[in-house]
Amino acid sequence: MMKIYSSSQKFGHKHLTATVHNRAARIRVGKGDRPVTYEQAHHPHHIAHRKGWLSQHTSNLKGEDRAAERTIEDVFIRRFVFGTFHGCLANEIVIKRRGNVLSVCAVMLQKLPPQKFYFLIGYTESLLSHFYKCPVKLEIQTLQDKAVYKYL
Amino acid sequence: MASLMSLRRELFSLARILSGVSHLVRFLLFFLMQITVTEEPDMLFQKVVILVKGHDRAVLDSYEFFATMAAKELGITIGKVFEPPKAIERLTLLKSIHIFKKHRVQYEMRTHYRCIELYNITGCTAQVYLEYIQRNLPEGVAMEVTKTAMEKIPDHILEPLWKEIPTDDKPSQ
Repeated sequence: MMKIYSSSQKFGHKHLTATVHNRAARIRVGKGDRPVTYEQAHHPHHIAHRKGWLSQHTSNLKGEDRAAERTIEDVFIRRFVFGTFHGCLANEIVIKRRGNVLSVCAVMLQKLPPQKFYFLIGYTESLLSHFYKCPVKLEIQTLQDKAVYKYL
Repeated sequence: MASLMSLRRELFSLARILSGVSHLVRFLLFFLMQITVTEEPDMLFQKVVILVKGHDRAVLDSYEFFATMAAKELGITIGKVFEPPKAIERLTLLKSIHIFKKHRVQYEMRTHYRCIELYNITGCTAQVYLEYIQRNLPEGVAMEVTKTAMEKIPDHILEPLWKEIPTDDKPSQ
């Protein structure tokens, strides 16, 4: 990104090189050997344009409350699922809330035999339902390998 | 629930009429286990305003299509379907954890709205329609319903007081 204007009180222009220094949720361009998924390749300012939301609930809308509680639940669920299905997650988890039901959608790699997968799914669902006192559903899809979008 | 009973009878006949819409019929027949008749008069709504809010405009577009189609199939008169202007809540935070006050980060949360107004609808129909709509609300979308009910004017207001008893000396109220 090139420097366009410099900050100058004479013309009243604002400093427009802010995008050079942002490092949030970005994988920097490298040699071209690192595979990257669609989610990782797009920067946060592409949310709602090229990306969707990973966690869908109504508490961040205007006039709604309990956003902090939902966020904490989301963080816990992400870490929990990452730990139970260690090394099997292909992409980020999508968490959806409809009414009382918490729906966790994940894409997994086929590293474990199906029986172990079923056991872990049942274990996660029952444990999380007991933690959060609401029905928790796990929707899993499996792939052979990670879905690579490009190489950076 | 008395209104629910008369609702079931009404909707059984509606279900037979709307045999073309299979999804609605399956949903309506699912609730019609018993058919009972009540004498209680139904509530009448002059206006039912459904305001849906969400972060994604495309989701609200598709939900509006679904709600208007369902209302048309049930024969409900749809009034205005419009989009109130979006509300943006912006936060400006410090970019760094320590010092660098001149460098900040801005975040925003956009709430898009969609408003559907239905006119002259009965209580039973409103209950069924709203239940159907709410069961199919997508995740991340919130709904607010405002109902304007119509009531019969009480009889003692209809005639002016001075016409009733001209001779009696009543103290003024």
